[in-house]
Amino acid sequence: MIVKETRKAWQKGSAKSITFIVTKDCQLACKYCYLVGKNEKERMPWEVAKTAIDYILNHENDANFAYESVIWDFIGGEPFLEIDLIDKICDYIKTELYRRNHHWFNSYRFSFSTNGINYDSEKVQRFIEKNKKHLSIGITIDGTERKHDLNRVYKKTERGSYADVVRNIPLWLEQFPGDGTKVTISSADIPYICESVLHLYDLGIHQVNINCVFEDVWRDGDDKLFENQLMQLADAIIDRDLYKDYACSFFSENMGKPMDCQLQNQNWCGAGRMLAIDAAGNFYPCTRFAQYSLRDKEAWIIGNIYDGIDQNKLRPFLTLDRCTQSTPECVNCEVAEGCAWCQGENFDAAQTHTVYERATAICKMHKARVRANNYYWNKLYRKLELEGKREEFEANRKTNNGVVC
Amino acid sequence: MLQYLVILLDDTSVAYCHAENPLRERNLIPLDTLKKAILFGMKENLMIQYVYPDYDLPEEYNEVIESIDHVKIGRDVAVYSEVPKSIAAENAVLRLSIADFIAKQYDIAAILPQVTRLNICLTDTETFKDEQAEDYKKALATFNAVLINQYKAGKQPQLNILTDRLQLKEMHNCGAGDSNITIAPNGKFYLCPAFYYDEKMGISNRLNHHKPSSERSVGNLETGLQISNPQLLKLDHAPLCRICDAYHCNRCIWLNQKVTWDNNTPSHQQCIIAHLERNAARDLQQQLKAAGFSAGEEIKSIDYLDPFDVREQF
Repeated sequence: MIVKETRKAWQKGSAKSITFIVTKDCQLACKYCYLVGKNEKERMPWEVAKTAIDYILNHENDANFAYESVIWDFIGGEPFLEIDLIDKICDYIKTELYRRNHHWFNSYRFSFSTNGINYDSEKVQRFIEKNKKHLSIGITIDGTERKHDLNRVYKKTERGSYADVVRNIPLWLEQFPGDGTKVTISSADIPYICESVLHLYDLGIHQVNINCVFEDVWRDGDDKLFENQLMQLADAIIDRDLYKDYACSFFSENMGKPMDCQLQNQNWCGAGRMLAIDAAGNFYPCTRFAQYSLRDKEAWIIGNIYDGIDQNKLRPFLTLDRCTQSTPECVNCEVAEGCAWCQGENFDAAQTHTVYERATAICKMHKARVRANNYYWNKLYRKLELEGKREEFEANRKTNNGVVC
Repeated sequence: MLQYLVILLDDTSVAYCHAENPLRERNLIPLDTLKKAILFGMKENLMIQYVYPDYDLPEEYNEVIESIDHVKIGRDVAVYSEVPKSIAAENAVLRLSIADFIAKQYDIAAILPQVTRLNICLTDTETFKDEQAEDYKKALATFNAVLINQYKAGKQPQLNILTDRLQLKEMHNCGAGDSNITIAPNGKFYLCPAFYYDEKMGISNRLNHHKPSSERSVGNLETGLQISNPQLLKLDHAPLCRICDAYHCNRCIWLNQKVTWDNNTPSHQQCIIAHLERNAARDLQQQLKAAGFSAGEEIKSIDYLDPFDVREQF
């Protein structure tokens, strides 16, 4: 028996993630979207993209780029709106890696998170065909039609986008079997979590990465509703034996325990170790620090493609640890393990100009998740023991890929 | 824990630390505000440090100033922005650019024996280039030679960037917002005078791009101190500094915010300079011990100049 857990992220930890913000435009205006400054004007010019690539490849031996592998990530808005530019960028990267005999040659991936609307277009399909061996593409679909369309609506008509996304799921799964989708939960769509995850399984998506938004949107009672939804989902996954072939990131054995400030002090995400580039050629520690992602604070620009990276602006990120940025309540929390944060949201919500103030809006939702998670594993283990399959399960256990943002 | 209250008597009060005072128009602190500031200091049990402008204050101010124990910066402590030929005060602050510090090392060495304590304050720390390290080291060695001779002459010279480290067993830094707080002529609290200057000069605090503001105050005399994220001003919340033994380092909060944008994170330049001084203090210590003097706990040999290179990684 194989018990399905989540797939490992490609080259996790040893790959540099470089993100091109190719456009700040998107067909959709998702109600929970953290991108508060989307617009149709800021599209990356080819010269900016080329200069960025040249800068990065010219600094092969710098500490900032001393990674075994690289993930060239393309983000928007909706990245596939700029498929012509992306195709040109990827061609140039491949050519230059070869020409320079760069250590990333044949150790790279092109990564996309798309709303899937124009996934089947001729240009996107031609691009996929050309680069398939080096591609990771995730289509984000939020679940059932009513759940998806609650938030994911077209920007001008406010029409739901479910139908335009779901029609491309079979093609995507055919081309990238086993890839997962990413679901975002906000307050209004809590009642649809269970049905949505099951619906995604029905669509043939075996891995559902799902997380609550980090912003302060949660209302009284949301935690209880959330817990109930997750328990319903736990029952369905276990009672229908779905755990054998499907995974949902809500349920993880490695969560809900106290944490040690010496042994478990790592930062949650790779902000600062990643590099994001926007249409103006500015560098950011992560896309979440670009102006279009920030409600209040000024963008945290760490340099640009012409002058390079200002290492001093990176130092706060590269020295971040869990306990220094956490409140005493978080440090001493009995269920701290698995509680995520977004460095960009921390910064945006902070009282001062710092990345060292952890936002805690998600606290009650995490605690609800822990309760449901405990229920899930207690129920699953009891079932496995009664069926005499516990040892087989332990032997086949895999690790979670930790995709949360 | 707060220990000192810095009172800027005027907008043109002398700059005595890293930041220049760009304010040129006189704006004397209202007498009533001064009285309230002193009262705050008395009730909080703070040692008061008045920072003087270059003109004489009205007599009624002097009476109020003398009503409490204090230090007068710009009077008792002389502050110079260029190397003087001689120094009359026992304690002096010499504010210089890195280039001037290196170029005028022998002039500075000549005045060192004239004072009990000399504080060197570099005004352009953030511009320090790694290529300047050798010249900076040589200048520090020049001062070490002068200090050794003074010790041999039976004196106890103090040059902050070299001798402070000999006596320290833990971090002793600027302490802005933690061990000291500043009151400006407008009656508002600031972490240090530099934050007041930035506010007056309209430099954005970067906190809101919709409504840019240069507001830097952390409370006022009416409502009291209101420091947000005060933990980030403390050593245990500074990942680089808490593993560092350049105990004399200014660990300038204003420079941190200006250069790295985070109060708890020093720049590469600040760290390099502090470690060149720390290593020179080690040389001084070894020379003093060889000459038979007691010179504090051993400063260990290290193979880095920036603790970022040996930072804790989890």
